[in-house]
Amino acid sequence: MEAWVVATGLIFVYLAATIAIGVLANKRLTANMEDFLLYGRQAGFVVLYLTVVATFHSAFAFLGSGGYFYTHGIGFWAAGTWTILVGAITYALGTRIWALGKKFGYITPADLLADFYESETVRIAAAAVSVVFTIMYIQVQAAGLGYILEVATGGRIPYNVAVLILLVVAALYLIAGGLRAVYWTDVIQGVWMYVAVWVGALLLVYKIFGGPVALWRRLAAERPDLLSLPGPEGFFTPGMWVGMTIALSFGIVFQPHMMIRYYTAASARTLKLLGATTPLYLMSLFIPMAMVGLGGALVLPDLAGADADRIFPELLFRYAPAWLTGLILAGATAAAMSTLDSILHSNMTVLTRDVYQRYVAPNRSQGHYVAFGRCVVVVLLAVGWFLSVSEIDFLVNLVTLAAAGALQLMPAVLGVCFPGRRPTTAAGAVAGIATGLVVLYLTRIEFVRPWGVHEAVWSLAANFVATWVVSRLTRPPSSETVERIHGEVERFVYGDRRS
Amino acid sequence: MPVRRSHCLPRTGAGRVAVVAFLACMALAQPPVVHGLADRIEPWILGMPFLFAYLLGVYLLMIGVLIWTARKKV
Repeated sequence: MEAWVVATGLIFVYLAATIAIGVLANKRLTANMEDFLLYGRQAGFVVLYLTVVATFHSAFAFLGSGGYFYTHGIGFWAAGTWTILVGAITYALGTRIWALGKKFGYITPADLLADFYESETVRIAAAAVSVVFTIMYIQVQAAGLGYILEVATGGRIPYNVAVLILLVVAALYLIAGGLRAVYWTDVIQGVWMYVAVWVGALLLVYKIFGGPVALWRRLAAERPDLLSLPGPEGFFTPGMWVGMTIALSFGIVFQPHMMIRYYTAASARTLKLLGATTPLYLMSLFIPMAMVGLGGALVLPDLAGADADRIFPELLFRYAPAWLTGLILAGATAAAMSTLDSILHSNMTVLTRDVYQRYVAPNRSQGHYVAFGRCVVVVLLAVGWFLSVSEIDFLVNLVTLAAAGALQLMPAVLGVCFPGRRPTTAAGAVAGIATGLVVLYLTRIEFVRPWGVHEAVWSLAANFVATWVVSRLTRPPSSETVERIHGEVERFVYGDRRS
Repeated sequence: MPVRRSHCLPRTGAGRVAVVAFLACMALAQPPVVHGLADRIEPWILGMPFLFAYLLGVYLLMIGVLIWTARKKV
């Protein structure tokens, strides 16, 4: 049997399994928003662990990271830092977000911000940032999926159709089972992608080079430029290193699909264990990808630009047996779908909760909002498909732009979750977000990365300054609200001891 | 409204140890250390280039700090 038949068949078996899980999840579903949107706030350690890691790692990890090691060398190993930082942020910040969400019934990031800052402007700003920048992320994941299926079928399913098929499957199980379906499929996807990456990479390294030691030796002899900083194209300057660390840790945590996960945990202890242990999975996934990307640069040196992202599937098709290639590409599909479904879900949640329920149709039944959310998924599917077929760009750069956008919520969220001597104000939060977005645009589009410093650093610095200055000049939230929310944070972190 | 102590600094001994240890490890994985002292390509542990092995070691240390923090219930 030809390799493409096996690969495509296994991917479609996998897709059918995800739909079956969606149907099963549907049987457990009750028609209320907390169940449909937040898994009933009862996610335990194993489920939450696998959904967090599967959501964090996406087409970016499977395709983009290999492409980055291939093009820019060992500098992409900076990825380890930001994955571990995600754990630390989950530990220190995620638990506070969880506590406030449980106490006050928050569902979206905008709920948390609007309640503390007593401001609809803050709600709208947060919802807009959440949706606009994660829609870019839909494009990234859908494009990754399109690449995978197109490559797996040897071009027999064209990219546009491949994207559509995979978007429809993700939307189907999301519509059927809500966040429960997303979490259950993520459990499979999280395990599958990890095993697939390690097995695929080790197989390639042993088959092509005779083992990792021989690979490193050949690299040192033939491409030493790939093993030192800032890399062959001078990309990983100190400014880029720090900027990507910030953008791809804090920036991803502040995206709604990650923040909403904090609300869903069964307990704070679950989240703390999650923060301490998820970096093991997240960081170690980049070890095999380093071997794939760097080794690929030795044996297939002619992939340029966006084609570098194809290095893993290209190597598999040349050097791995068909059945294994199929299993691994199904794992790659899992990596991208687990992130895509989460983004579709978070956008649905934000649009249903922060826009529709708040401004268009308040006081309707829970079932009405669940039905509306399902309709939103269909619209997002169409938007995602349109964005994906309109333009294909280098995956990592797109993710970085999306992450730096969501990053602009950081000062406002910290103002809620980390009580200080003087509270951040609504005007300060909005000024910070607006300033950060303007500076992000300027340092990304108009004056690209001044002095080699990543746009995340510029935009976040400007955001913090604007938030701080304006907060000193404007009226803070009412003392009752500050006491209610910061008092809850105080009780959660330090118990009932008065400070 | 009661004046609260800032949450930006840890208040317990274990919390202070955790924050300082994590930030120290973090500094070892950032410029200028990474772009200066650690930017070497000679083979080190298991044949891995020095920079790769060095960062792997630092990352494992950082994860160790997080696990220690969780065990201490900070």
